[in-house]
Amino acid sequence: MKGYTRQRWSRQKSGEKKSPDKPRLIDFFVLIVRINSFTLGGGYVIVPVMATSLEKKGWMDESEFYDLFARAQAFPGPMALNSAMLVSLKLFGIKGIPVAFLGVILPPFLALILVSGLIQRYGSLPALRRFLDGAGAVVPGLIAALIWKNSTKRSWNILRVVETAVLALLLILLPSLSLPLLLVAIVILYFIEGLCKPLK
Amino acid sequence: MQTFEVIWTFFKIGIVSFGGGWSIVGIIRNEVVPRWINEQEFLSLIAIAQSTPGPIALNTATMIGWEQGGFVSALGATLSVVTFPVIAILTATYLARFLKLRADTLNESLKTGSIAMMLMALWALKPTSVDPVLIAFALGAFALAAFTKINALWAILGSGALNAIAGPAIRALLGIKG
Repeated sequence: MKGYTRQRWSRQKSGEKKSPDKPRLIDFFVLIVRINSFTLGGGYVIVPVMATSLEKKGWMDESEFYDLFARAQAFPGPMALNSAMLVSLKLFGIKGIPVAFLGVILPPFLALILVSGLIQRYGSLPALRRFLDGAGAVVPGLIAALIWKNSTKRSWNILRVVETAVLALLLILLPSLSLPLLLVAIVILYFIEGLCKPLK
Repeated sequence: MQTFEVIWTFFKIGIVSFGGGWSIVGIIRNEVVPRWINEQEFLSLIAIAQSTPGPIALNTATMIGWEQGGFVSALGATLSVVTFPVIAILTATYLARFLKLRADTLNESLKTGSIAMMLMALWALKPTSVDPVLIAFALGAFALAAFTKINALWAILGSGALNAIAGPAIRALLGIKG
């Protein structure tokens, strides 16, 4: 009953002024769980799915979503999680954070527990062994492809080429220091980018 | 103790997990190989993480946690890998008024960082086996993912299925030991 009145109210309102409907927390949670249960292929696949679903539901325009997504990329952490949390924060305020968090985390966690259990149990079967070997073999190829894609999209200048090469070399030569190295590198890169901005 | 070690390791990994999944693979590899699993197992793990729903860093954390200490470690690793990102987002939201980081400048420096991270990952995971069938799978996956819009998932599942079903026959035909 309550839901019905609410729906009618928002329909009347949207008749007067075209503003996105505000979803209920539970509806938002269900959507996030659904997206994160059935979308395979990681962040680059899931982000466009989120954008279109949110717009289809009338909860957020695609352009607004991609603004949030641009911000989400500046943070560490999975893109799907970061975008979902920023969207939820925008729609519901701080109480949206745990909803988005659980919606993104729960489905893969349960799926992976199941898969890990199955592999533990049947991992010694030769056919499954071969499947895993074959599947694992493509990983370096996929990483190379992503390097290719990101590099061809990047707007390069000499400074960025040198920065990338030096950082990659340091990471390769000092694997045990990769974490502190990266943290320092990002700060330095940020300041170099900032310094060079007025020159361009 | 093992559980604590897994949690601490994935917390640290979470701090530098920017750049969209794949860039973090090399960092995870340096932290867990050969301490907990070997190179071959790690590659399979990444393939599974990529072909199941959910972010790759998260899925890897869940699986390694599970292998090291069952459910508790799996839960701990999963939560710890996202602890820092969640704190960062919450803090930034409240500090946005005081702290003016330029998002475009930051994104440019993160792009440089993530390409370097992926180069390191490629170096760390470069095929060491001389099995020509597996190397052919890697090259095929590169071509598919770099030059078509086909979801990389199909390369993973396709190579896995092909190797499971026809692997021994292909190797016998080529006269190599599997």
